[in-house]
Amino acid sequence: MIHLKDINKTYQGAQPLHVLKGITLDIAEGEFVSIMGASGSGKSTLLNILGILDNYDSGEYLLGGTLIKDLSETRAAEYRNRMIGFIFQSFNLISFKTAVENVELPLYYQGVARRTRHKLAMEYLDRLGLTQWADHYPNEMSGGQKQRVAIARALITKPQIILADEPTGALDSKTSVEVMELLKTLNAEEGVTTIVVTHESGVANETNKIVHIKDGIIGKIEENLDHTARPFGINGIMK
Amino acid sequence: MRDIFIEILTTIKHNRLRTALTGFSVAWGIFILIVLLGAGNGLINATMGNSSRFLATSMVVYGGETSKAYDGLGENRDVQLNDKDFNITSKGFPNNVKSVGAELSQQGETLVNGSDYTTGINLSGVYPNDVEINKRTMICGRFINELDLKERRKSIVISSDMAKELLPQSPLSLNGQMIRTTTLAFRVVGIYESQKNSMGNDAFIPFTTFRAIYNKGDKTGNIVFSFSNLNSEAENEAFESDYRARINRQHRAAPDDENAIWIWNRFTQALSMDTATGLLRTALWVIGILTLISGIVGVSNIMLITVRERTHEFGIRKAIGAKPWSILRLIIIESIVITTFFGYIGMVLGIAANLYMDATIGQETIDNGLFAIQMFTNPTVGIDVCVKATLLMIVAGTLAGMVPARKAAKIRPIEALRAE
Repeated sequence: MIHLKDINKTYQGAQPLHVLKGITLDIAEGEFVSIMGASGSGKSTLLNILGILDNYDSGEYLLGGTLIKDLSETRAAEYRNRMIGFIFQSFNLISFKTAVENVELPLYYQGVARRTRHKLAMEYLDRLGLTQWADHYPNEMSGGQKQRVAIARALITKPQIILADEPTGALDSKTSVEVMELLKTLNAEEGVTTIVVTHESGVANETNKIVHIKDGIIGKIEENLDHTARPFGINGIMK
Repeated sequence: MRDIFIEILTTIKHNRLRTALTGFSVAWGIFILIVLLGAGNGLINATMGNSSRFLATSMVVYGGETSKAYDGLGENRDVQLNDKDFNITSKGFPNNVKSVGAELSQQGETLVNGSDYTTGINLSGVYPNDVEINKRTMICGRFINELDLKERRKSIVISSDMAKELLPQSPLSLNGQMIRTTTLAFRVVGIYESQKNSMGNDAFIPFTTFRAIYNKGDKTGNIVFSFSNLNSEAENEAFESDYRARINRQHRAAPDDENAIWIWNRFTQALSMDTATGLLRTALWVIGILTLISGIVGVSNIMLITVRERTHEFGIRKAIGAKPWSILRLIIIESIVITTFFGYIGMVLGIAANLYMDATIGQETIDNGLFAIQMFTNPTVGIDVCVKATLLMIVAGTLAGMVPARKAAKIRPIEALRAE
């Protein structure tokens, strides 16, 4: 599904910063992967490149067989819309839109008719147990509810990958567990390829594969099917 | 489209005060534009109304005073037009001159009917063509005709105002009756409608009669004629200099002496009036548009602030698949909606102000005793101006939205998402 080959990225500036130094990574369809690293390790940059929010300098990135390189803004927007579902640390819901309107938005940009997208958005909210919150605005909801709305918005276009950037970063530990459980279930039931970027080992432990990144290079890749990657990671997320 | 409007309404609702203040400047701009154009139209209509009482293709020639020594004679000689000039005018220019008349007048006459009288009358001896050249409207009877002229009849045409003074009970029945000047009796053959905006208080008698009564010899006073086949400024000038040369020579004045006779050409006057009104209209549009520009800059400014405030939101939208074009469109349409909505408020208020002007100073006339002039006639704008103003607002809205919209469209999602 995702094929990265020797990706390099340097931020130009007074002092050029070589952030990604040859990342080569393959993620198969239906995998539940986490990318772990300390701040400054280059994991956010990698996520931005995966999410077509940023360009890379050299290398090759294939997403579902499509080469993603030097796209125009319009094409990039189109690919983001159809292939990728984003989940952010700070939810990034639009504050003056209700939950259901937020969920509808990706479909609006696909040009789906009003009624159809409303119906679909309600279905997704229902699946995430938010039916009675559909007409509430983000500031009337708890963090966990907001993140679930964001997840519904990420799922509604049936993307090929879900990119979650610190999805539990702004949540308390109980809600964090719920959100991770939700992502896990979605991955297991729907088979959506899910990539979680985190610096919390407890969160990473919930995923099936942990990619360690350090100083712009991939360290080791752990298979973590029995979720025992960290001693304090069993049955919960360390906050 | 409906979604876009809902989005715009939501953002406008969020920033009511700001939008209203911006809108005010646009409304003000359009208001000024409409009021200026309306007032300009009032002025133009009034001037047109004041000048349209003459036949446009007519000229009046007055005797003057020479300003150049010529043919052994000095300057500053009086020139009085006479029968020879009349003949040159009527026979010398068969291609251009149509009907020729002349006008002699005597000020301060008094008309008497029994015990009623009216004074300060300007008694004029005229030709029958005066009625069409000076566009007089007959209420009853007829104007002076060829037979009056030929037989030197003592016929008189008076104005409706005079008739009211001479026979207050039933002015119109004065037609056909005998009235007197200080010395002679005349038969009223017709009554014309007094024009509020025309100078003088004229009663008309046949030219030949007048000349006999007042012993004018071969003098003709002013020569009045209508013309044809002079359709441009250049043709008129050529005709005038030719005409001037011939009349001047007849009076032994230099052919190019511009003061020996005076020519009042109503056609070229109308032409230059057209140019002047065109200039006035253009100037008013320019002033109005300049006023509007300050409003547009206001809208642009507000949209820039909006874009800055919504950077994060646009970042989210782009991350989930908004194309630059859809962001661009959103901002531009918002700008057009604000401009047009408030523009229309301004337009409606402007039209209301014009109607108010029409109802007040539009009805006022300035009466200086001799004649009355309307300063404003129908000071309103037509539907064409409203359509133009609408187009102007849409264009202005687009321009105002352009810079902010491009800025919004260029927002890079990663930077925007960071901006919180």
